[in-house]
Amino acid sequence: MLMLSLQTTGLVGLAVAENPHERLRILYTKILGVLQSIPKDAAYRKYTEQIVNERFDLVKKETDVQKLQDKLNSGQIEEVIVQAENELSLARKMMQWKPWEPLVEEPPSDQWRWPI
Amino acid sequence: TVRPKNEVEHKQLCAFGEYVAEILPKYIQQVQVTCFNELELLIHPDGIIPVLTFLRDHTNAQFKSLADLTAVDVPTRQYRFEIVYNLLSLRFNSRIRVKTYTDELTPVDSAVPVHKAANWYEREVWDMYGVFFANHPDLRRILTDYGFEGHPFRKDFPLSGYVEV
Repeated sequence: MLMLSLQTTGLVGLAVAENPHERLRILYTKILGVLQSIPKDAAYRKYTEQIVNERFDLVKKETDVQKLQDKLNSGQIEEVIVQAENELSLARKMMQWKPWEPLVEEPPSDQWRWPI
Repeated sequence: TVRPKNEVEHKQLCAFGEYVAEILPKYIQQVQVTCFNELELLIHPDGIIPVLTFLRDHTNAQFKSLADLTAVDVPTRQYRFEIVYNLLSLRFNSRIRVKTYTDELTPVDSAVPVHKAANWYEREVWDMYGVFFANHPDLRRILTDYGFEGHPFRKDFPLSGYVEV
């Protein structure tokens, strides 16, 4: 690994993140905050809280960036940051769509029959 | 020779299908895994954008790549067109198929806000089948000739067309 000023992620368009632990901490706290306003029995809230808490614990315990990348096993730390941002925007949209409600409309009985 | 059955992959896909169906019960009508280990989600048309955004953004399902967007015409059904989205996850090396339905006159939400790649695919589905996509940035013909009338891939369109060449 070169010194910080000459590092590169190797991916087009992704800059090296300085202080990734802080950024991830902020993002994961925001996600958990958004998830609080979803009903407690929704599967989305349950599973996302599980994922976010796992990753948050790993981020809190591990201070070395390289070892954190290996433990998370999800690509580079910048990719993990992008994924957390995506999860945050998804959580906000889920609040509006409310996908945990029961089925909107049943399909006609022959709709998904194959062969016809 | 017969392709060997990969039971492990089959079980993993079943488990993932159940996971997604548990998270999105509002839109998912059915989940199936074919014998060739292909996972398919059958969706109500209102749920196109929520389901595609979920599959793209969720950490356990990073299906960032829209591989294909097509339609299938089954004239005997009430909702004759079946819109098919094929997604690929690069992080988990996995594919998934999302299917919706519509008839000739009901518009369907465009997938362009979620996947930019859907732009020309939806123009092709509009041109060939006549399925209208709401909120599409530029829905016009893409493959047929400029003054062409009709939608060629429909089952009731004759093979050599209506106009003599």
